[in-house]
Amino acid sequence: MTAIEVVAMTKEFQLGQIVTLKQSVSNVLRTVTGRTPEKPERFKALDNIDFSVQSGEVVGIIGSNGAGKSTLLKILSGITAPSAGAVRVRGRVAPLIEVGAGLHHELTGRENIYLNASILGVPRRKIEKLVDPILEFSEIRPFEDTPVKKYSSGMKVRLGFAIATNIEADILIVDEVLAVGDIAFQRKCFDKMEDLILNQKKTVLLVSHNIRQVQRICTRVLLFEYGKIVADGPTQEVCQTFFEQSDRIIYDRASPVWGDFESSDGFELLSLSMTTPDGQPLRRVHANEPVEIRILYRNGNPLVRPKFGIGVHTSDFLYLTTYDSRDEIWIDEVGPGEHEAVCRISRIPFTPGIYSLRLGVSGGGVEKRIFYGENLLNFQVQGDERHRNVSGSEGLVLLDATWRQLA
Amino acid sequence: MSHVKAALRLWDYRELLSTLVWKEIVVRYKQAYLGIAWTVLKPVMLMLVFTLMRSFIGIDSGSIPYPVLTFTALIPWVFFQEGVALGVNSIVLNAGLVKKIYFPREVFPLVSVLTKMVEFCVDFAVLLGLMAWYGLSLTTQAAWLPLLLAYLVLTTLAVNLAGAALNVFYRDVSQFLPVAISLVMYASPIIYPLSLVKRVLLVSQAAGVHSDLLYFLYTLNPLVGIVDAFQSVLLRNQPPDFSVIWPGALFVAMLLPASYEYFKRAEHSFADVI
Repeated sequence: MTAIEVVAMTKEFQLGQIVTLKQSVSNVLRTVTGRTPEKPERFKALDNIDFSVQSGEVVGIIGSNGAGKSTLLKILSGITAPSAGAVRVRGRVAPLIEVGAGLHHELTGRENIYLNASILGVPRRKIEKLVDPILEFSEIRPFEDTPVKKYSSGMKVRLGFAIATNIEADILIVDEVLAVGDIAFQRKCFDKMEDLILNQKKTVLLVSHNIRQVQRICTRVLLFEYGKIVADGPTQEVCQTFFEQSDRIIYDRASPVWGDFESSDGFELLSLSMTTPDGQPLRRVHANEPVEIRILYRNGNPLVRPKFGIGVHTSDFLYLTTYDSRDEIWIDEVGPGEHEAVCRISRIPFTPGIYSLRLGVSGGGVEKRIFYGENLLNFQVQGDERHRNVSGSEGLVLLDATWRQLA
Repeated sequence: MSHVKAALRLWDYRELLSTLVWKEIVVRYKQAYLGIAWTVLKPVMLMLVFTLMRSFIGIDSGSIPYPVLTFTALIPWVFFQEGVALGVNSIVLNAGLVKKIYFPREVFPLVSVLTKMVEFCVDFAVLLGLMAWYGLSLTTQAAWLPLLLAYLVLTTLAVNLAGAALNVFYRDVSQFLPVAISLVMYASPIIYPLSLVKRVLLVSQAAGVHSDLLYFLYTLNPLVGIVDAFQSVLLRNQPPDFSVIWPGALFVAMLLPASYEYFKRAEHSFADVI
């Protein structure tokens, strides 16, 4: 049986603020004077979407920010209407769009259960039976008669999650909510979700940026990009597409223009590049492969005892490593002109992802900084699937290690 | 027709309605020391001011003591005025719910009006005390009251629904409507009895040839009929005077469907613009 059916659905939003008197007056003037009036710009959050979900299916919805995922969930739960196309949803929908949204701060926990459950359409008699399991699950029993405004944020979220998952809806719509509470409660939420999915065969739509969560729960994934479905299929396949796509986006965004740097004493960085040991330029590096970093510079004044240092940092400026030329380049004076220094890295020890280079140059009789810059060169480390670093949780550094089983 | 169906479907949401009404009331008085006493304050204050005013203007209230007469008029008036003020803001104030969850949005303005029932009952109890003080008592005519109250609710909703929807798009509405409504008070027989208007316009034809037309326009305000009917059935032992009620009732009968229609059309974009 089809639980959700979406046919040729489009959702447009008007950009900017609502029309004010000032704009209306100016538009009237424009019409009178024969110019075209300003029309508010429109933005397609969802563009001609088609898909259907069978009951009992567990579908993940992934995509980068602004791809239209949350808009889709809002339309499916009836909060907002599509601009064009049709949407059919069979059965009661429990939306978990921001858990605890329906909680009222002046009411007690128990009162909020009544309020929320009746908002979700549960009859009074049924609510009475649900109160105890909900209090139990959310672990707020001692505070059931305390106003919710005195709850900690974790307690509120627990209560919200417990209400939404206990009301026996047919379709559960979940938006980034499994990461609630402490580790122990997250565990409990997961078990609850698995129970709903595996034992109670509920239809579930899960929107998440946490791909591992999607991989664990969902059997099918829809990948959204700029309001369109660009992939729809088995979880592993679509997730792989998504990884490649998001790496590409970050990589493309990495501008060839150098980031912030300061330079003095007539020192000029001409180019900073990454090459293979035999001099082929590179911007995608394979993990564990050797690379060379070439620094081409011009100095107006003689450079006394120059020292170079390169470092690698992540896109959020976590410094991973630094290596300088101390004891390796020992020249008393480099005459004015163009020169090149090379740093050879015998193995790139990072997990796949996007990284960036920083460079410092110092010199002089009394050592002082001549050049310093960060974010100078973005590069992508590619690797096997087993090295994939999902949202940083696998770490950033690759070990040079092997496993053995003894006896 | 689809909107008639939509209105009937509200029956399915009766439990939600009662829960939300209960929530509104609990929340309003939870952290107020005087609690429900506040509800009486407004009509009682207004009654005192009017009574004081009357002592130097001189308004003929007939055989009924003026404070009782004006307090009886203030009960439906305060209900209407506050029902509108609350209802117009109801969607915007519940933005959190509107953006997260769907149920028919007219629940919010409806809840605002129903919440005022509690105040209505409290005010009514005060009126009974006031009547007893002046040696008046209820008669069987009071049986009209539920019907009058239902009409009052519909009248309030007629303004409420369109006002609440408009206010989502233009917050000016919540500024403008309460001011406009407070002016309606002077166009309703609250400070003065309706008999005074009848005497001036119908008997002495004070506005010449236009007097009858003016009187018709005056009664087009549904509050005129309602206030007069409240006074009739509670104080004068008379049934409601339908010759006063019908123009206003006709007006409400046209305004309410239009207002609801507009609300249902606007409803879909609430979550987008709120």
